[in-house]
Amino acid sequence: MAGMMTTRQRIQHLLRRTGFGYSAAELGEYVALELDGSVERLLRPGLVDDSVVDSALAPVLAVFDAPGDPQDPSVRRAHREALWAAWYLRMTRSRRPLVERMTYFWHDHFATSIGKVDSALLMHRQNELLRRNALGSFRDLLLGVARDPAMLIYLDNRTNARQAPNENYARELLELHTLGEGNGYTEQDIKEAARALTGWRIGEARTAVFRPNLFDSGRKTVLGQTGNLNDATLVDLLAGHPRVARYIAGKLVAAFVRPEGDTALRERATATYLRTSGSISEVMRTILLSDEMYAPAAYRAIIKSPTELIVGAKRALEIAAEGRTEVEISNRMGQRIYDPLNPAGWAGGEAWLNGTTMLARSNFIAQLTALGGNGAVDIPGLLRRNGVTGSASAVVDWVLDLLVGGDVDAASREVLIDHIGGVHFNFDRAAREGTLHGLIYLAMCMPLYQVA
Amino acid sequence: MTRGVESVNVRVDEPVEVARQLAAPLSRRGFVSRGIALVGLGSVLPAAFVRAVFAEGTPPGVTSKRRALVVVQLGGGNDGLNTLVPYTDGAYYDARPRLAVKPETALHLSPTIGLHPEMTGLKALYDSGQVGIVQGVGYPNPNRSHFRSMEIWHTASMAEHTSTGWLGRLLDATRFEQKQAWRAVNIGSALAESLTSQASFVPALTSIPTYTLNTDPRARGQGDRRVTDWVRLFAQQAAYGGALAMVSETGTKAYQSTVDLRREIGSYQPLANYPGTALATALRTSAELITSNLGTGICYVSTGGFDSHSGQDNTQPALLRAVSEAVSAFYADLAARGMDQDVLTVMWTEFGRRVKENGSTGTDHGTATPLFVIGGGVTGGLYGETPSLRNLDGNGDLKHSTDFRSVYATVLEQWFATDPKDVLGGSFPALPLFA
Repeated sequence: MAGMMTTRQRIQHLLRRTGFGYSAAELGEYVALELDGSVERLLRPGLVDDSVVDSALAPVLAVFDAPGDPQDPSVRRAHREALWAAWYLRMTRSRRPLVERMTYFWHDHFATSIGKVDSALLMHRQNELLRRNALGSFRDLLLGVARDPAMLIYLDNRTNARQAPNENYARELLELHTLGEGNGYTEQDIKEAARALTGWRIGEARTAVFRPNLFDSGRKTVLGQTGNLNDATLVDLLAGHPRVARYIAGKLVAAFVRPEGDTALRERATATYLRTSGSISEVMRTILLSDEMYAPAAYRAIIKSPTELIVGAKRALEIAAEGRTEVEISNRMGQRIYDPLNPAGWAGGEAWLNGTTMLARSNFIAQLTALGGNGAVDIPGLLRRNGVTGSASAVVDWVLDLLVGGDVDAASREVLIDHIGGVHFNFDRAAREGTLHGLIYLAMCMPLYQVA
Repeated sequence: MTRGVESVNVRVDEPVEVARQLAAPLSRRGFVSRGIALVGLGSVLPAAFVRAVFAEGTPPGVTSKRRALVVVQLGGGNDGLNTLVPYTDGAYYDARPRLAVKPETALHLSPTIGLHPEMTGLKALYDSGQVGIVQGVGYPNPNRSHFRSMEIWHTASMAEHTSTGWLGRLLDATRFEQKQAWRAVNIGSALAESLTSQASFVPALTSIPTYTLNTDPRARGQGDRRVTDWVRLFAQQAAYGGALAMVSETGTKAYQSTVDLRREIGSYQPLANYPGTALATALRTSAELITSNLGTGICYVSTGGFDSHSGQDNTQPALLRAVSEAVSAFYADLAARGMDQDVLTVMWTEFGRRVKENGSTGTDHGTATPLFVIGGGVTGGLYGETPSLRNLDGNGDLKHSTDFRSVYATVLEQWFATDPKDVLGGSFPALPLFA
């Protein structure tokens, strides 16, 4: 039945997966590019002007460059506020949404928590590292993370030394970042990899420094390869390994196509990875242009994460994020950005769904669509701007197209039409009585909006 | 596109019919409620039901008909050797030059074994005969991955991709009545894998007051209408199947459970001073649920931070103190209500840590570790063999002597009067924890 998906619906599906949803205006721009053009625009962010967001970000990011001791409590507080504010601002407003979506993917993959790192500055620098490499080479990304101060703290590699090995990072590097749990490595591989990763400390300017006297320069054997391995040659070995290619390709397919994965597509994406020496954007092109991406099994198959729900709702309603409220609301839904519970990141999928998180999702929408108070959304204004004021069914159909790409069963549609007055609909009265807000509340709470 | 809706031919005012016609299984790990009526606004749950489920097999000396289990998970792999200290073993001091607990500070339980000095509250409970400590708990071929090892403990299965948890299977095996949502509760926003079941919705809550569906107070006269339409949309969209059915059913049951919660929760006031820690707050919430009319028989509580690869001397003492103080307050509260006999607490961690400390004043992932069984119904004392620090496995880790599934089997059989084989898929020797 996916053959029946119109180009518009395919693009809506693509943007739900790669762009945290869309506003009405944004959707129009992508629809004009057709599907292939939309994928190209997403994959070539350098061609898209994002100066409006850059200008909005400048004062937020200036906090990280301002003079002052990072350990000073007021500086620490300012850094913490800027950390979340900057990323939520980017996610909700950037015109390069796949860069943010991939940065988010890598934050989950290389999960690192501010709880242990205890430095917003270092978390911010890691975020910038992930963004710079989000669509680049997996090898460069992996090596960048290996030498990233936040990761050095989070998985203790800053204490790993020839004289006293610490295998925490080595274990997660193999288990979580490259091969997958139990995927053809041994306890001995972990110990040897830990030796290759020795020697790194955090220096004066809170940057990583290599101390040769702490490095174990002996021979090591990892995955059958023997030599005087160090972090760079270990990363080369891993990033070029076919099992790593398959693991990364499979994880991207599960995240962007369907949670159960797809063997045929994974194999094609693995081939792309190996052919391009691990080019993330090429692997993504294989995935985003595949038939599997738009197949019935992929349609509405992914349960939105709290971040996708929050950012998507704000993008659709064209409201800015300020960071502080979003992070706490997201936490109630089971996801605190920059603070995953463990190095494996968020379990995702069905794990997002339970009693308290389902209620928190609806309660976030209730707050977002409240009639008054701080940052209240002007729903009637949004509809008027888009020329949608006629009948109840016209209003509902426009909203459903914006939020879920249409394709909604008749009974659900009737509930929404009745909610705003049905045949007795009067725009001004509905605006006054709050049923237009109620319509958005219901359409964003409903299960169809909770999936991508 | 998955448009199964038209062919189902449902009417929006008949949510029951929608659910009845759901044909496909929902998921490999979610609850499935095929053929079961989704309920609209409000329903009455029979409080007697839980008593029926959890009352059988009451051990001698227990007068109440209500029994509950609280599971406390210490996430990250708590260092067992510094929790239950072999304070006369030279090998322990050789392996832990910087981290070892000194013999004179350990809280002596026996001539060779002592608790960490911060665990005074637990020591007091031990001295009153209410704490059983099973030593050297683990499983064959120990896995040192947090995630895989937790999965093994949660599912009580060595097979990968086991889709249900051991407590979830207990719920399924004792399911007489669908609407009994509150018989098991997860405290915290992430549902523990132990509670994953085929057929039972288990509420997760972070706090009782926030477990509610909010409406906009400014939308005068619209609040009830929004809730009614919300319920209709969720019932209707279950018919899409797949991920949508999971969302719909979870939402519907969550809403239903808020209605039940408000009706049955009662007016609990703590009868002990709980510390301000998250764990203590979670145990206080457990006490509120267990003592209400909701019929709660299982509470699952998680606390983390035990992954002490570095600076363990700074982190573990505070964590153990928080655990000890929280458990101590919980039992003081229950004892003041005469319910300490009826509530069993099992406290576990996914693995212990390596015998030898590492170069970062920490310990890396290990294997066997002690498990705590607490409550007035418990026969206190040390169980199992003390693990040898000389006869280690090839990685320098402790060998386990008691399989964790023996503890589960004992709880299932002797506390809940359930056949453990139904839940564990095999037989494991029981321990005399309640004898």
